[in-house]
Amino acid sequence: MTEAEIQYEYSILERSRKNPKAFGELYEKYFDRIFNYVYRQTDDEDLTADLCSQTFLIVLKNLERYEFRGLPFSAWLYKIAGNEVNKHYRKEKKSKVFSIEELRVRELIEQASESYDEEVIQRLLNYLKDLPTDMLEVLELRFFEDKDFKEIAFILDISESGAKMRTYRALDRLRKNFNLKIKYDGKE
Amino acid sequence: MSSGRIAQHRNYGELMERHERDIRLRRIVKTFIYFLIIVALLIMFVIVRRWEQKKVDGKPGTAQQSVSSEQLAVSSEQSGSKQSVAIRT
Repeated sequence: MTEAEIQYEYSILERSRKNPKAFGELYEKYFDRIFNYVYRQTDDEDLTADLCSQTFLIVLKNLERYEFRGLPFSAWLYKIAGNEVNKHYRKEKKSKVFSIEELRVRELIEQASESYDEEVIQRLLNYLKDLPTDMLEVLELRFFEDKDFKEIAFILDISESGAKMRTYRALDRLRKNFNLKIKYDGKE
Repeated sequence: MSSGRIAQHRNYGELMERHERDIRLRRIVKTFIYFLIIVALLIMFVIVRRWEQKKVDGKPGTAQQSVSSEQLAVSSEQSGSKQSVAIRT
């Protein structure tokens, strides 16, 4: 995301403070992404719709308190969505679910390896099921949501070096087990 | 999930309605809290006033104050005459 885009979104937020209807543009832009992000962590459509709506409601409620820290507005949105998901699991006393779409895994493998077969995909899907939640979180944000380490650190409330370390460890495991050429910075 | 399916859940109008309802509710709660604070202060003021009144009314001799002052005047006159007598002797 370019600096100009970040500034443009911030100007929409400034306008939304006076007139909440102006927020509609950002709602339309980010609804699908936030929906998918929450859906991957709940695997329940109705629950996702509720949490998503709650996320945007919290954003509207706290617009006055929003401070620009050089990060895109979406980082704040993801952070609130993540907090809402965690709150739900704490309330229900259930353990977090991670459902990664097969299609996204296919995309990732296509980028990382020229030759792959169905067996590798199935093995990888099974492998991802056993990965710890904190590693899945960073992988999801890094490769499926395309976030940089600064944003990941902000969303997950960890340090930037912590985010890098988690990603590195998760990728190292994938490299060792599947011989994938996914680069640490995710660009290739 | 397909974007068509996600679009079924996207409803900005409903979100705005909920937001406005929330604002109204917050305003009502705020007003109610201010009202409660004012009522509590008023009750405290009335209690303190009554307590002070009771304290003043409950002091011994305050009811007979006017009578005793008259008596005091009489007795001072009497003592004055006694004093003059003593001087004379």
